[in-house]
Amino acid sequence: MSGLLQRQLRDFAVAAGLAVVIASVAFVAARNHDVIDRQLALAERSVAALAADGEVLPTVHGALIGPAISSPKHPELRHRNLRDHGAWRLLAGGDPLHPDDKLFYDAAAHFDREHQPFVELLRDGSGRAMAATAHGSGPAAETAVAITEPASPAGYPLLVMIGVLGLGGALSAAGALVGGRGARVGAFVGAFAGIAVLAIPALLWQSWFAALVIVVVAGVTAMLQRAGLTNKLAHGLVRDRVAVSFLAPAGLSMLALVAAPFLLGIGLGFYDHHQGTWSFVGLHNFIEILSGNGRALDDPLNFWFILGVTVLWTMCNVLLHVTIGVALALLLSRKWLRGKGIFRMLLILPWAIPNYITALMWHGMFDGQYGAVNSILHGLGMDGVSWFTSWTAAFSANVITNTWLGFPFMMVVALGALETIPKELYEAAAVDGATPWQRFRHITLPHLRPALGPAVALGSIWTFNMFNVIFLVSGGKPGDSTNILVTDAYRWAFERGDRYGMAAAYGTIIFLILLLWNVFVARIVRSKGDDDS
Amino acid sequence: MNPLVLVVIAWLAAACSDPHGIVLWHSYQGDERIALESAAQVWNKAHPDQPLDLVMVPYDAFGDKLSSAIPRGNGPDLFIYPQDRIGDWADSKVIEPIEFWVDDARAERFTPDSFSAMAYRGSLWGLPMAVKSLALYYRSDLMPVAPKTTDEMIAIVPAMKAKHGYALAYANVDLYGHAAWLHGFGGRVMDDAGNLTIATPAAANAMTFAAQLVQTGAAPNDAQAPLVTSLFNEGRAAMVMSGPWFRADIRAGVPWHVAELPIISATGKPAAPFRTAEALLMSARAKDKDAAFAVMDFMSGDESAAIRAKRAHQVVPNPAAYDDPEVAKDEALATFRNQLVHTVPLPTSPTMRVVWTPYRTALGEVLAGRAEPGERLLAVEREVKDYIKR
Amino acid sequence: MTRQPKLLTRMFAHLALLVLVAVVLYPVMLVCKKAFEPGRDFALSASPIPHELTLDHFRSLFGSNGEHLFVRQALNSIVIAVATTVVGVFISCTAAYALSRFRFPGRKAGLTTFVVVQMFPATLLIMPLYVVLDKLGLLNSMTGLVLVYSTTAIPFCVWTLKGYFDSLPRELEEAARIDGASPWMIFREIILPLAKPGLAVTGLFSFMTAWNEFILASTFMTNESHYTLPVLIQSSVGQFSTQYGVFAAGAIVTSVPVMAVFYVLQKYLVGGLTAGAVKG
Repeated sequence: MSGLLQRQLRDFAVAAGLAVVIASVAFVAARNHDVIDRQLALAERSVAALAADGEVLPTVHGALIGPAISSPKHPELRHRNLRDHGAWRLLAGGDPLHPDDKLFYDAAAHFDREHQPFVELLRDGSGRAMAATAHGSGPAAETAVAITEPASPAGYPLLVMIGVLGLGGALSAAGALVGGRGARVGAFVGAFAGIAVLAIPALLWQSWFAALVIVVVAGVTAMLQRAGLTNKLAHGLVRDRVAVSFLAPAGLSMLALVAAPFLLGIGLGFYDHHQGTWSFVGLHNFIEILSGNGRALDDPLNFWFILGVTVLWTMCNVLLHVTIGVALALLLSRKWLRGKGIFRMLLILPWAIPNYITALMWHGMFDGQYGAVNSILHGLGMDGVSWFTSWTAAFSANVITNTWLGFPFMMVVALGALETIPKELYEAAAVDGATPWQRFRHITLPHLRPALGPAVALGSIWTFNMFNVIFLVSGGKPGDSTNILVTDAYRWAFERGDRYGMAAAYGTIIFLILLLWNVFVARIVRSKGDDDS
Repeated sequence: MNPLVLVVIAWLAAACSDPHGIVLWHSYQGDERIALESAAQVWNKAHPDQPLDLVMVPYDAFGDKLSSAIPRGNGPDLFIYPQDRIGDWADSKVIEPIEFWVDDARAERFTPDSFSAMAYRGSLWGLPMAVKSLALYYRSDLMPVAPKTTDEMIAIVPAMKAKHGYALAYANVDLYGHAAWLHGFGGRVMDDAGNLTIATPAAANAMTFAAQLVQTGAAPNDAQAPLVTSLFNEGRAAMVMSGPWFRADIRAGVPWHVAELPIISATGKPAAPFRTAEALLMSARAKDKDAAFAVMDFMSGDESAAIRAKRAHQVVPNPAAYDDPEVAKDEALATFRNQLVHTVPLPTSPTMRVVWTPYRTALGEVLAGRAEPGERLLAVEREVKDYIKR
Repeated sequence: MTRQPKLLTRMFAHLALLVLVAVVLYPVMLVCKKAFEPGRDFALSASPIPHELTLDHFRSLFGSNGEHLFVRQALNSIVIAVATTVVGVFISCTAAYALSRFRFPGRKAGLTTFVVVQMFPATLLIMPLYVVLDKLGLLNSMTGLVLVYSTTAIPFCVWTLKGYFDSLPRELEEAARIDGASPWMIFREIILPLAKPGLAVTGLFSFMTAWNEFILASTFMTNESHYTLPVLIQSSVGQFSTQYGVFAAGAIVTSVPVMAVFYVLQKYLVGGLTAGAVKG
């Protein structure tokens, strides 16, 4: 009996923790909403009272602002006068009688511009609301403005939460204590009811969604418990607690600093950002991107064209990086090679220097007329190439630069992997009469694979998303055709009017492409009987 | 253990010294930075209770850093930035309208053009610190007399070609550099009401002219600032169309002068580049706005302007600063001032920001001879309309 | 491997390497040339030899914002990079060990998650990351930057280290377990020393991730005394003109420590397993 009770309470504790978090979030949201609503309503009421020549509450600052008198020479400079309790004074900077003077001035200016009453929250984060409407009419019409004080939000209802938690716990325990034939049903109902009770405060705070989520959590927990899965999970955690403790640091930091921005980034894709305001547009961004923006398939601004370029770019680069890197690593681990240390140091330079500097350098080197590359070609008796005027040349320039930047990384990884190969294997193979190629295939390659595998996988992801080289070397030339997906996304964010929503949607699409690709590759690799564990 | 101890100590030593007082962000380097800091020092000596803290932020990240920091309540109280984003930021409530503090007397301090560049939708958003436009630098050893018309400019092409050089080097693929021709031929990017007027016959003529400059060897194709600088320094370009910042890049010993841009022979109108004003703007989330304005007032005032004109050769919009004898002596500065008469203000509308990249692509294609101006301009206009539609 | 190839082959190999090194070094030499030559523009000749030497650019780099500011920024870079290496490698090697040695449900999923999250382009994550750091109160602080860099480096480090751990034979650990050692002790005393090449690679990688990073550093730091070296270098890129001499000088100053770190770590990369340890 006590085992069942223990299980019930344990499951309740975990699920209730989650439910409390959800309910609290609902509370905070509701509270903020509430405060904002009350402020706006107060401002609106006050300004209506002012317009009718009535009185306002002492916590509200109200005033009547006279019409604007523009300076004849500078139309954007305007005087205004403010009537506060009967006395007129000039609204201008210098020595304001009241710190809210500027707010009144700006409110009146806003009213003039929009020509209609408005009520809004002040944008300075103070939580105050401001409303303006007309007072009187005709040329001498004044603007009535009311500004509220910041309101203190309601406190967290700790007692309510404790009470509800207690009630829930009691219900769970009661369910566990039902004996006899109703034991299983009792446990199930107890588990469910215990957690569902926490939905009540959420309802009080008018968050139907949160209440629904809590009820779903309750249901899921009860069902999992019924299927015995909660027990399994708990025992698994205890049994593997060493593994969990080893994984915890990485897991936690990834959760906060990778998962959270990641989810946020995906979420932003469903909104459109226009001049500082975000509006929900659902799948609109995605549809627009995937339909190629209404352009032809060979138009460089079409998503599919850019995708093609990106895939080609990734394949060329990874192939070159791995080939050159492994070849160099092999060469550099020969015993008979002199000056290994120095060669290694020098060959790592491209990776050591920050890549935005070297990318700029290469850009200069590829200049059609004065670039170093063409000068060398001339010196060798060949014609110079106009690097950024044809797609092939510009693409090659990008690939050359990125290969220069990227091979040291593969070289270092391969070097490390080669060092783990015991020398006796080679000696034994030589004794058996194996050719160099056979030695490579059967000894070197299998040892290289575990280290190169992640390097290639991650390397291709990095190349796919390599922004600096494309942006700084070819800049998309000729005519935007050497852009890859990530530079186009960047342009949406920063060159096409701050469309962060579009850029985020783009990022999500890139992510999905890479995900699908890796799943596909993993499937093939697994089917070949090659398991990396 | 020892290295770890060192790291920890270093960490503690690197304790936060967060600035207090008014924080001003800028992206000046070299002389301009020194000049700004001198002006700030003058303020700090006079107002020890309200210190001004300057923070240099790299230009690349500047605009975006502001857009993300200010709405969240982080960020500076004041910042200096070209005026072309004023519309954008005003609409997004990133900057604060300041006409509340500004009266006619203050407005008189500045030239009317620079002052009106700070206006947007009926409000005033900043105070002008410096005005930038392009003018014609020329080497007196290659071009004894400054050309008055574009025909005179092209006349020295054969002589320069013989020396494997160009008559005029300028950043021709960017709209900013091309604008001198665009306006000289009568074209505009948008009219005063903000409607796009990109695809016009005048604009097409301007592009054709620029393409001809490249095709006849008068100007290098797809030149960017570093190449332009090198060509001028090495005597392979007789003239350069660039702004006040260029003089710091000229090598010692090169005999250079500045003249106003020539008149376009085909239309008889002067070449008119964009005029951009660098504005001192106030963040909408500045904590003490009155104090921030006091700093704004000083930093854009005549004293600060004189300092900046002397030290950094900035073309300041305060006429009073030119009364200073040292400033009055500066010939190049005077030429830039005169050039301002023939300039077109850079539109502050948010639409302008979207025009640069498509226009640059179009210029690249046309100047390389791969496309016709008319159709490319139509494509540019269509693309820009696409982006602003939503 | 036991026989030396012919003299001709060896000479050819050395020659090929020299040519390759020359090709690799050429752009680097251009950067050096730009750093030591007076003048702010790109010289138009392809020769990598400067025609005149000057230390002016380095002087501007160190002195332009006040000497102690440069030292402070260099110190920031060092502290951040070292901390990232320590934190990143620590977090990764424990996770990699768990993924390699322990069997638990969700193991495969855990492994792929590390890779999957890398797929969202980093340039587009800056805004969301900014929001998260703001909420955590870690903006404009070195701690925030170190944490972000470490998590960026984790996926690669975990995968690589797992690979290394996988290749280590289990007999040693089993023997130690029979002797009664705890998993932690086994990890610290036996596994870590054997995984030196792996640790060296991941250490170098973490260091470089942090050392050369510019975008996040310049977005999150709002105080000049918190800037790192890459941000300082980027300051020489202006709106209209770039001080290429100072830019190049900064590049060199930033690259030298990386070379030093690589030099130090070289012997670990080369050391590897000795025959004795494997045979156990």
